[in-house]
Amino acid sequence: MQRRFSFTRLFSYSFSALAAGTVVAMFVLLILQSLPVWQHEGLSFLTGTKWFYRQQQFGAAPMILGTMITAFTALLLAAPLGIGAAIFTSEFLHPRLRLTVKVVIELLAGVPSVIYGLLGVLFLRNWIYDLLTPFDPLSGDTLLTGAVLLAVMILPTVMTLADDALRGVPVIQRHAARGLGLNSSEVALHIALPQSVRGLLAALLLALGRALGEAIAVFLVVGRQDNQWPYRLLSMQPLIQSGQTITTKLASSETNIAYGYPLHWAAICGLALVLMVMVAGITLISASFSRRHVP
Amino acid sequence: MSRKLLHHGFRAFTALCALLACSILGWLIFAIARRGWPAISWQFFTEQIRLVGASGGIFYNLIGTGILLLTAFITSSPMALSLALLHGVYLREGRWKRALETLLYVINGMPSIVCGIFGLIVFVQFLGWGKSWLSGGFLLGIIMLPTVTVALMERIASLPVRYVEAATGLGLRQSQIIWSIILPQSLSGLVTGSLLGLARAAGEIAPIMFTATIFAGATIPHGVKESPVLSLPYHIFILAQDSFDPSVGAKVWGTALVMIGLVFVLSLIALPARLKMHEEAHHD
Repeated sequence: MQRRFSFTRLFSYSFSALAAGTVVAMFVLLILQSLPVWQHEGLSFLTGTKWFYRQQQFGAAPMILGTMITAFTALLLAAPLGIGAAIFTSEFLHPRLRLTVKVVIELLAGVPSVIYGLLGVLFLRNWIYDLLTPFDPLSGDTLLTGAVLLAVMILPTVMTLADDALRGVPVIQRHAARGLGLNSSEVALHIALPQSVRGLLAALLLALGRALGEAIAVFLVVGRQDNQWPYRLLSMQPLIQSGQTITTKLASSETNIAYGYPLHWAAICGLALVLMVMVAGITLISASFSRRHVP
Repeated sequence: MSRKLLHHGFRAFTALCALLACSILGWLIFAIARRGWPAISWQFFTEQIRLVGASGGIFYNLIGTGILLLTAFITSSPMALSLALLHGVYLREGRWKRALETLLYVINGMPSIVCGIFGLIVFVQFLGWGKSWLSGGFLLGIIMLPTVTVALMERIASLPVRYVEAATGLGLRQSQIIWSIILPQSLSGLVTGSLLGLARAAGEIAPIMFTATIFAGATIPHGVKESPVLSLPYHIFILAQDSFDPSVGAKVWGTALVMIGLVFVLSLIALPARLKMHEEAHHD
């Protein structure tokens, strides 16, 4: 076919380039603007445990740890519940009712994070404080509070994507299995679950990405205490004291303060870069598991 | 016998999971509706904030969120249409098409606070806009882009091939086919995708907290530079940090209820149709 000038083609390519350019610019800008801190701290930006910006000390390890702890704990809490619930909706629930449940779940996935934050501030914080009384906590603002809140927030995502993955298993295979005498639980356990493992993993990773990148709700309940590096890494201790995650640091007023000071600003951009790389990595792994689940 | 026991046990267990999940989420709505309802009145929507949120209403917050969302819609639509056309029409199967999908995954997973930092660098500092509704709207447009694009892509992919074949047979050029067949037929995808995207963007704070929105003292913006707006979610965010004053408390819950109401209305218009389409796709 002969190709002549087409306004529509030009339009499509230029606006697509704008979208792609914005994302590329994000990476490039964050790398460039964070250069000073990499020169100043080197790798100890990632491993250092002290963040005192007045002393020009920038160690992000406690925040990276805080991010990991809250996100993984949240996933640990949400995954069994979400997948269990998804098995129920996809395998046992009547199809018509299933669509209703699905609408409800999708609605709840859209509840803004600040609403979760508000409920966290006014309820969850006190509940966690009461729950932790035997450990004598300083307040209800702990990494655990953030994790529980995140778990509730990612629950709809886990549920709805896991349900999609399970529904993706062909009906004909279920029929065949039922014909062989398996009951519906056995079909779920031996046919649907094993076949949708990739989809389920993709769902969990996507939820993990959400949890890692969530800022506002965690900001309100996590205590935002800097330099909380635990004495023992493998213990409950970091979970039940207040801490800081990368996102809560970025959302704090320090971001506004930092701009006038090149090194401090570079440190903030470095944090954003670390977060972006972590989340983009997880998103891409999730995408490679299943090339279908962009919501 | 033990098979049957296992069957019932397993079913009960998953039902319990579903019940627990739904009731957590049901409780959430109930908790907000119960506390927020008393604050809702006509004046709540038509008055502006007074006494640091303890009195008055959320008029300019609604206006501000409206402006941000409208801007986000206007920014995201051309980009979403372009990306969907590239995906559905211009690009062949292969490396570039996969790159485009990867791009959408990356944007979709992007932490919104990183968008905020990016906006702070580019709009607030490089361009010297200060806080401006335009930068906030653009960033929210980027946030909702994947949702809109994927909805459009799905619509375009589900168009019957014979439409395009018939149009080609009539001698239409590619761009004529796009404007007379593909775009009109996939308009519903743009609408539902945008509504869902806007529902997601409406509650975002992280992209706009440094770039577009302030807590009090803004009305309707008159230009681009130094023209911030108020917004619903930021209002809740600030008040949630020090809600000891009971009269502030009532207003926060009221605002939260309005916020949830807005998000639900946006998604409820779009969701059933979209989910139905998904379901049908799954059964093929």
